[in-house]
Amino acid sequence: MKKMRLASLALAVVMAGSLAGCGGGGTTAETTGAADTQADTQAAGAGTEATTAAETVVAAEGQTVLKWSIWDKDLTTYYKPLIEAFEAANPDLKIEMVDLGSSDYQTVLGTQLTGSGSDFDIVTIKDVPGYTTLVNKGVLEPLDELIARDGVDLEAFKGITDQIAVDGKLYELPFRSDFWVLYYNKDVFDAAQVDYPTNDMTFDQYDALARSLTVDTPGQEVYGAHYHTWRSAVQLFGILDGKNTILDGSYGFLQPYYEMILSQQEDGVCQDYATLKTSNLHYSGAFSQGNVAMMNMGTWFISTLIDKVASGEYTDCANWGIVKYPHAEGVEPGSTLATITALSIPTSAPHKEEAWKFVQFVCGEEGAKIVADTGSIPALMTDDIASTISSMEGFPQDEASKEALQTANLYLEMPVSNKSSEIETVLNEAHDNIMTGNSTVEEGIAYMDDQVSQILTQ
Amino acid sequence: MQEKLSALEQRLEELQKRAEAETDDKKRLKLGAQMDKTRDKIRQTKTGERFSRQTKRDLVAYSFIAPNFIGFAVFTLGPVLFAFVLAFLNWDGNNAMRFVGLENFMMMFGNQRFLASLKNTVVYCVATVPLTMAVALGLAVLLNQKIKGRNFFRTVSFFPYVASLVAVAAVWNMLFSPAKSGPINMLLYNLGVAAKSLPKWSADKDWVMFTVVLFSVWKNMGYYMVIYLAGLQGINAELYEACSLDGANTWQRFRYITWPQLQPTTFFVTIILTINCFKVYDIVYMLAGGSSGVLNESAIVLVYHIYEEAFRNWNLGYASAVAMILFLIVLAITLVQFYGDKKRAS
Repeated sequence: MKKMRLASLALAVVMAGSLAGCGGGGTTAETTGAADTQADTQAAGAGTEATTAAETVVAAEGQTVLKWSIWDKDLTTYYKPLIEAFEAANPDLKIEMVDLGSSDYQTVLGTQLTGSGSDFDIVTIKDVPGYTTLVNKGVLEPLDELIARDGVDLEAFKGITDQIAVDGKLYELPFRSDFWVLYYNKDVFDAAQVDYPTNDMTFDQYDALARSLTVDTPGQEVYGAHYHTWRSAVQLFGILDGKNTILDGSYGFLQPYYEMILSQQEDGVCQDYATLKTSNLHYSGAFSQGNVAMMNMGTWFISTLIDKVASGEYTDCANWGIVKYPHAEGVEPGSTLATITALSIPTSAPHKEEAWKFVQFVCGEEGAKIVADTGSIPALMTDDIASTISSMEGFPQDEASKEALQTANLYLEMPVSNKSSEIETVLNEAHDNIMTGNSTVEEGIAYMDDQVSQILTQ
Repeated sequence: MQEKLSALEQRLEELQKRAEAETDDKKRLKLGAQMDKTRDKIRQTKTGERFSRQTKRDLVAYSFIAPNFIGFAVFTLGPVLFAFVLAFLNWDGNNAMRFVGLENFMMMFGNQRFLASLKNTVVYCVATVPLTMAVALGLAVLLNQKIKGRNFFRTVSFFPYVASLVAVAAVWNMLFSPAKSGPINMLLYNLGVAAKSLPKWSADKDWVMFTVVLFSVWKNMGYYMVIYLAGLQGINAELYEACSLDGANTWQRFRYITWPQLQPTTFFVTIILTINCFKVYDIVYMLAGGSSGVLNESAIVLVYHIYEEAFRNWNLGYASAVAMILFLIVLAITLVQFYGDKKRAS
């Protein structure tokens, strides 16, 4: 009996001890041979996703392990070559990737950087609202001093770095800069005996082309166009003339574009937004079914297409091509939306100097080449790099598709503003209501005008 | 030590005498307890043990509670208390906290998304609670009878509750597709509803809550049916027999035997359902979130509003204030039901 009591007491102490272990995952082993301890603290302190995705990197004597937050580790092809090249050039450094998942990456990252215990040295920043949120929270290190010290040439980023400065300071360095193009399925055009789209189309020409390809026979529908349910896919046609921005607080300029798409939807030129939304259809699924003639989407879709066509998964859109975005009357073709992916160093990073080395490498010319080799568009875009992508196996071989990689004006999908996350909510709501027919275009625009001006005056 | 022992023995004798002379039962019991204590002390003095029997017993009991209590304190009690404090602060999780008094609570009433979420949650609750109860009770009464395939039907009605929410929500959204070719819309069309006025279900701002309520009733009816079944089986069969002898029909038997006998079950079901309704989040998110996972004003609920303010916009103070409101609402409902039940019982 006495023994039993003792045993139960001991058990209680052990359990309490293990709980306490969960609570404080603050300590990190600095360097060398400590990979195991590091993995342990991480497993105790981090959230479930990070725990399952974290991979133990075995560091040799004298090596420093840098923790890098990413998403879609298995789907993204450039992580591995980037890390291999960097580690080869810096034998004393090791990179450990932590996959935080793609769908709510920024939210998870924000949580990870709150409080202590995550120990990220480098974090990937997925979008601008997420970036400004983290900058406002004060968890990102300003990079200006390091940039000045090491003479990083910001000119090569073609002005993008100016667009992501917050109060004149830069907290991230972009390494990918995707932009939107128009994908089309050559088989659909051939079957309808219609000429392929060109790099110089006005919105009217584009609308007419989409309509000419549409077949609405039940069971054999062909859609002239496809718009994914994201706000950017429709709403941001409106900002490409450079006269308005999405943070203006006055949205009358969106009306003609919404009217064009709604009328296409009405006439069966594109699929119904409400159905797409509730069925959660992915844009790649829509395009690969072979009954979509044209679809506007970001250049990140290029590597997916090359990959899946090569593996034989996509057979109905194997003959694809790209052209530049349609443009408003009198605007230079090649004006399009940009989405940047960037690297930042958190203020809590244990190895800032080493992390900066990695950031410089990935965002620099060497990194850009590696990223381009896998079919993704790096932020440093030279003619050399553009030809790397267009000469890839599986990239469409027509001249127009190669030419489509040259852009004239790039506008960020969401400009930097400390209100961007709140404004995003309003714009999404209005977009959804207009596209589902819950409100008219006029009502939707009035709603945006009203709500956004309220946010701006706060 | 000898002195102490004799003093204790003397006290014991004294207590015994008093107990024998005592006529009041309650006081005698008290004296008995005191005698036990004194006897234990005598034993302790004789054997020289450090703890009394009672203390030992207490320590063992606490050691059993400890693992659970420490977990509860660290992961539940602490955060809950912190949230209370946070409701009066302005904090983004990293920069310094700032005391703002009741500002967070005032802000709520100017926030359109808060008002919409409050309205939607209340509408959802008012519609879901009675509907789920009615369906669950109906099913329970039906499946409590001796019919063929009873176990099969019981399993079928319990299935939605155990099925994965993500999977059944996808199927549901397919059935209730907003397209004219959606199965349910096709049915409505064939029944004579004009193509223009077919509802867009979860994509329609006027129908989305209806769709959510319908789904929620279907998903949860099985669980509450099981609770009702347990209640039904606890009713004494003699009551029905007596009732039948008096010539009562089926409805009367339900009205005068089943329903009153099920009162405690109904009370339990109402409380659990109401609380669960106010905590709704996953169902709405899966049905109306779309690929962006953002809920519109037509479908937003309180818990989602807390989530978006806390982890998207990092207004942790404001989010805590909304959580407090949610807590107060649930508390108020529970108290009203609790006292209502007490009154009825007495």
